[in-house]
Amino acid sequence: MTIKASETSRAAGLVTPKSGRLRRLAIHAMMILLSILSIFPIYWMIVTSLRPENETFSTALWPANPTFENYAFVLTRIPMLEMLVNTTVVAAATAALQVATGLFAAYSLVRWRIRLAGLVHGLIALSWLVPFQVTMIPNYVLASRLGLLDTLTGLVVPNAVAAFAILLLYHAMRSFPTEILEAARIDGAKSWRILWQIVTPNMGAPIASLAIIAFISAWNEYFWPLLLSRKPENSVVQIGLQMFMTQEGNLWGPLMAAAALASLPILVIYLILQRHVIESFMKSGIR
Amino acid sequence: MTDIQADLARPLTLARATPAARERGTFTVLPWLYLTPALVLLMVWTYIPLVEAFQLSFYQWNMLPTAPQRFVGLRNYQRLMALPEMRNALWNTLYYILGLFPMSVIIPLFVAIWTQDLTGRARMIYRALIFVPMIVAPVVAAILWRWLLNEDQGLITLGLEGLGLGRIGFLTDPKYALATLTWITGWKLIGFSTLLFSAANAGINPSYIEAARIDGASRWGIIRDIRLPLLSPTILLLSMMTILFGAQWSFAYINVLTNGGPLKSTTNIFYLLWEYGFQTMSAGWSSAAGMIAFAGFAVIAAGCMWLMKRYAVYDN
Repeated sequence: MTIKASETSRAAGLVTPKSGRLRRLAIHAMMILLSILSIFPIYWMIVTSLRPENETFSTALWPANPTFENYAFVLTRIPMLEMLVNTTVVAAATAALQVATGLFAAYSLVRWRIRLAGLVHGLIALSWLVPFQVTMIPNYVLASRLGLLDTLTGLVVPNAVAAFAILLLYHAMRSFPTEILEAARIDGAKSWRILWQIVTPNMGAPIASLAIIAFISAWNEYFWPLLLSRKPENSVVQIGLQMFMTQEGNLWGPLMAAAALASLPILVIYLILQRHVIESFMKSGIR
Repeated sequence: MTDIQADLARPLTLARATPAARERGTFTVLPWLYLTPALVLLMVWTYIPLVEAFQLSFYQWNMLPTAPQRFVGLRNYQRLMALPEMRNALWNTLYYILGLFPMSVIIPLFVAIWTQDLTGRARMIYRALIFVPMIVAPVVAAILWRWLLNEDQGLITLGLEGLGLGRIGFLTDPKYALATLTWITGWKLIGFSTLLFSAANAGINPSYIEAARIDGASRWGIIRDIRLPLLSPTILLLSMMTILFGAQWSFAYINVLTNGGPLKSTTNIFYLLWEYGFQTMSAGWSSAAGMIAFAGFAVIAAGCMWLMKRYAVYDN
């Protein structure tokens, strides 16, 4: 569509070649500026993390003698690997559970026309508007009563359901042809079988979108682990990073190495699935 | 805009629309079984805690399981309203939100319109790069900017000094700290918002533009009379997100970088809740402040939804 618009504007002679070239140049300049703004802090993190100690404050764009000594230092100071494993477990479990609870709820809302469907829908959608900081004290009290303090389970359970997960799958399922569901029902297929053998296999794309977003948001989650975690070895990488900053805040090389390690998995996912990640986030909005 | 965004933005209309379609007189257990996991979790971790927080806001309690909860009626609210801290936090909340607008709505909107002719490979590369801050963890973002803005050796400090502008205590000077945190919050959003506007802008039917052009409309006229109205759902959606969640997004940066200081200059309402709850251990105050915030934002959300219904132009 954009191609067409620009072609027609050129064809109509509204943009003279010279001013057109200037405009294009300005557009590229603007986008390059925005790109540098977005990416430079991350680049600088990596560069700083690779500098040897005596070069930490150098302003060269690439370290003269790149080294991994900062990474080694981080690994000896905090249980970084354990925390990375913990975070992976928590994020994967959160994503899997959000997909599961979302699939069940969405399926129920699409397959049946139940009484109170409007209320259910409202409860799901409005839960998104309740700020977590408002419910944190009762949540904390409940978690401590259930013995979930300082556990990974405690980090997962309250996030096992997400309004946006249910709504995303609900919309995807609603466009699923009802004739197929009807046919299966007439054939006597149980609802459980219809869900697993007919609906779910056709929900690959939305499930993947949802899993990507849920994994990334769970990986980046900070507030709930902040309340729940006590020991670094039972915690996630965001908390570890903050602890490290509080203890060694001015060791910039190691601190950047720790931040790089904490973001590496997400950046790798982004490098591989870049287009899917962008599209998933754009489809579901910000959270 | 996608269905989900529309849904999340208009839960109330949805809640009203569906019951009309239900079947009457039948009740089956099966659909409720499928809903159980989601509803139980929402009840246990969101709605019951919300009610409990409401109750707690009338009690005095220091969060120790053994300590008694003492009923104090409306005194928590009265005390809070009289506290300068609370007023300060509310003002700061407003600053965060207003400060985010240029980065979450205004600049992205114009960048998206202005760069719409970009195509092909260059477009894909820019897209991939400007999206990155969105997936960076808030704690990581906080640390990255803490390094760049460091008062002794940060690259930006060195750059400013090179320009002869002297050092600025970005995070230590009460004059600048709030602006710095707002900037970091906005840094994560600017690229994402631009992409969202670009997608919406690319979705505008080119025949409208064509027709206007044939009628002799100027470039600015087309933007004003066609593009902006047709982008209004996205503009309103992102504005609503900024208003409702802007102050929440900044929480991680406040806690990692300034702890609300210097001189409380960066404390917003959500940080105040956290301070009352888990630092001074006054659950009653925290809950009362939480209720004030929740009620305030709920009213704003209802207002935004009304605005969206009233003013958003949809191209059907």
